[in-house]
Amino acid sequence: MKRLHNISFSRLIGVVITFLLVSVAPTLAEGDTVCIQCHGSQTGRGLAPVKPWQGSIHAANGISCNHCHGGDPTDSSNAMSPQRGFLGAPKELAIPDVCGRCHIGIKADYLRSAHGRALGKGGPTCVTCHGSHEVQKVSIELINEKNCSRCHSYDRARIIRGAMQQTEATLVALSQRLEEFKGRGVDTAGLEKRLFAQRNSYHSLFHEVNPAKITAESAKIAAELNLIKGSLDKIDAEHHQRKVIGAFAVGAALLGALLLNLLRRTYS
Amino acid sequence: MSLFRKIHDWLNVRLGVDDLVEKQLTGYLLPANINRWYSLGSVLLFIFTLQVISGVLLLVYYVPDADKAFSSVTAIMNTVPYGWLIRLCHVVGSNMMVLVLILHMLSVLFMGSYKRPRELNWLSGFVILTLVMAISLTGYLLPWSQLSFWATTVATNSAGAIPFVGSYLVEFLRGGTLVGPYTLGRFFALHVAVIPIGIVAMIGLHLFLLERIGVSAPPFGLPDTKNPWKGDRFRHEDHPGGIPFFPNYLLSDLTSVAIYLAFFLLILFFAPNMFLPKDAFIPANPFQTPAHIKPEWYFLPNYQTLKIFPNEFIGLMVQGVGITFLALLPFIDRGREQHPLKRPLFMVCAVGGILLWIGLMIWGHYS
Repeated sequence: MKRLHNISFSRLIGVVITFLLVSVAPTLAEGDTVCIQCHGSQTGRGLAPVKPWQGSIHAANGISCNHCHGGDPTDSSNAMSPQRGFLGAPKELAIPDVCGRCHIGIKADYLRSAHGRALGKGGPTCVTCHGSHEVQKVSIELINEKNCSRCHSYDRARIIRGAMQQTEATLVALSQRLEEFKGRGVDTAGLEKRLFAQRNSYHSLFHEVNPAKITAESAKIAAELNLIKGSLDKIDAEHHQRKVIGAFAVGAALLGALLLNLLRRTYS
Repeated sequence: MSLFRKIHDWLNVRLGVDDLVEKQLTGYLLPANINRWYSLGSVLLFIFTLQVISGVLLLVYYVPDADKAFSSVTAIMNTVPYGWLIRLCHVVGSNMMVLVLILHMLSVLFMGSYKRPRELNWLSGFVILTLVMAISLTGYLLPWSQLSFWATTVATNSAGAIPFVGSYLVEFLRGGTLVGPYTLGRFFALHVAVIPIGIVAMIGLHLFLLERIGVSAPPFGLPDTKNPWKGDRFRHEDHPGGIPFFPNYLLSDLTSVAIYLAFFLLILFFAPNMFLPKDAFIPANPFQTPAHIKPEWYFLPNYQTLKIFPNEFIGLMVQGVGITFLALLPFIDRGREQHPLKRPLFMVCAVGGILLWIGLMIWGHYS
């Protein structure tokens, strides 16, 4: 009887949990993984990663919890099962490997750098500078006094930032111009690939701490960016020329209308 | 004897060219008080011709395959010599065709030219408007961009609100449950073959009716016909003492075409993106719904009407009733009076209808 009572009680708990999950589910966005559905309905530590992730570049590009933490995002009862590859929160030494599964080249840059060489000896991991769930698109702003002086003085970092500032500004400006050109129907695929390659080269410098090398590499990147800018300027000039021709065409049509109207009047 | 004269004489004895010119051009008289609004029909013919020419040129490079359509359009815009000009002509022209067609219909409405004996002219014009809307909708999908894919998804979805047959109709339109390669094939066939043939046939009928019944006189001025319609027998409405079609009114038509051309070129060269938002340059992705997908401006009132009503079927019914009323207007409004200021009920309904249509369009744009 007691056993029966226990079974009934556990069933009741099961029913209550199912009811709670079902009643919470409609409030969540369709297409969310079970990780987000479950953590989104929690409070405190369980809920903490959800919002930062939702605003991250990972979320914007469809990189979800399971891509870093493993597990099965489609099966709520086995989502955190090690048999389904669940890793949990990676330990400090494992962090570069977890991030490096996708960011292969950046992991190599990091491991070669002074930061990477100090891994496990008090040096920073990827998440120290980039954050974990709230990770954003990398920019020069990441090198700042507040960030760097958590571990060391900002002096050398300031020199590095100064050397990279112009490249960053050019990269941002070219990205915006490419986006604007794309919106006008210009085929930017080739130029975007070239810019992507230069942005990668530039980002690899983020893990470099030698100012001389950064200056030399920045010059190379700047030269390539100048070529991309030249291509965009050429397209701009062509579009400007189209407008000049367009102005003449509109003028010719109006002149034609005027002449035709005058001719009509001569007949009437 | 000059060569031109020889050709003329050769043709004249066989075809009676002089007689044809006299009957159809120099001797074809139009109402003396004819106004500029009458030339919108000629402007529409010009636009349609330009659409056919640019469409045929686009066909040379366009690939109606879901995997290649977007890249073929990108190539037309970027690598094909003057491809950008041809495509923009087609895109801007399609919008202009709808705009000028609406203006043409409004002029007919306000001048009462739809009234008997021209009920069939109005009906054939109304069918042309429907076909132009259909050709615009089918053409919208062809670039296979995010805009075209999702706008077509929304548009075809609306048919699902029709009871009993809705889901079958959606599947029939799409060639499957979702918009996909089969939808592109169907829309392509409709856009380049079926609907253009329909439009040409209806334009032919429209012009035949115009020629057979005669041009209506504007309600502003004295009646100039000696053959007004009385309903007892067929009478061609002619206008003795009117102005000859050639050269007088043809020059007026050409002036309107030139003014239209200036406006068209102004948009084409200086604001082509008015009709091509950012999503028009992103390849279709069935897994990523854009945040604010909207149909073309002329479908916005329909789109907003569907949103206003709690049930899409009611929205469709309201539109159906409105469209049927407009199509059958000559059979409902049977009064003889054509002058808009002497038809207060008509004026209130027409101005109210136009304001409602514009209001829904603005609401749809910002909703």
